[in-house]
Amino acid sequence: MKIAVVGKGGAGKTTTSAVLARTLARSGHRVVALDCDSNPNLGLSLGVGIDATEALLSVRDRVGDDVEHARSWDDIVDRFGADAPDGVRLAMVSKIEDPDFGCP
Amino acid sequence: MRVAFVGKGGAGKSAIAGTFCRLLARTTGQAVVAIDSDPLPGLAFSLGQPSSDTPLPPELIEKVGDDPDSTWQLRAGTTVIDAIEEHAPQGPDGVRLLQFGKLRGHVRAVGPSQHAFRVIVRELATTTDLHLVGDLPGGTRQAFFGWAGFAEVLIVVTEATPSSMLSARRLARLAGADGGGQTVVAVANKSVSENDAARIDEFSGLRVVGTIPRDPAVGAAERAGVPLLDLAPTSPAVTAIGSLVEAMAREVVA
Repeated sequence: MKIAVVGKGGAGKTTTSAVLARTLARSGHRVVALDCDSNPNLGLSLGVGIDATEALLSVRDRVGDDVEHARSWDDIVDRFGADAPDGVRLAMVSKIEDPDFGCP
Repeated sequence: MRVAFVGKGGAGKSAIAGTFCRLLARTTGQAVVAIDSDPLPGLAFSLGQPSSDTPLPPELIEKVGDDPDSTWQLRAGTTVIDAIEEHAPQGPDGVRLLQFGKLRGHVRAVGPSQHAFRVIVRELATTTDLHLVGDLPGGTRQAFFGWAGFAEVLIVVTEATPSSMLSARRLARLAGADGGGQTVVAVANKSVSENDAARIDEFSGLRVVGTIPRDPAVGAAERAGVPLLDLAPTSPAVTAIGSLVEAMAREVVA
């Protein structure tokens, strides 16, 4: 299954996502948790800690870089992800690093 | 004063900003414009404004020249004061609410209104005798990307939780990278311990200029869809936001 959790700021999206991911993993599913927030905090709710959350490289940052491109989605998750409790694999899609003009 | 509230989603930006605007208007007796650049509704509720979704008409602005990359300006003959008197309606305590409307579909639908919004905000920032108070969307997307340039002081609203303080630290770092010369400070919100301000200061590196206690009146006002200031005018949170208004008045003078 593929689930996206959306809603207003502070509604509980990240907490819900993390509990869903770990609960599914505990019931034996192979789970990838994707943090699609430009202010990514899913690692904290999953339990990987502040430093590991901050150290995650965003997929977007690595595409177009001099790093050899990933060949498939699981290659991306393997190379740029982190292990979270209960066997969940966490990957981050984008994080804002440099201020520039943009849409809201 | 010209300030903007930023911070993680759910930190309490809109609740504080709406109350802040109205207390600022009450204590100074001067004109206050609340600037809502969040594409989701929020600030109208804490101000007590009847409409949370009033886009600006694209006819307010015109292109400077014919170059496709040229910028926008207010249509000839329209002043920024005309624009806000007509399109930023006055609510309780005389506070005006300027917004570009809310996303109902694709982002393109609010594009023209956003251009008008940016032109008006840019012009307002150089207009004297007006207080500007911005409420930005949650997260790090907008704070330093051309949306808060009007502000002399950016106020990062944060709780003393890891995710909220991590967002505050990222905002502080982005402010440094942006080099806009703005002062960046923090407010400890939903505080339950006298150590909260010190923890936020230590983690984010931001100077904490105010502490707002966790107050059930805030949640009660949000559930009722009415302004905190009207539901609980003497609540601890309102009192603390009043102190924040005073602190910001000192900050912009200094």
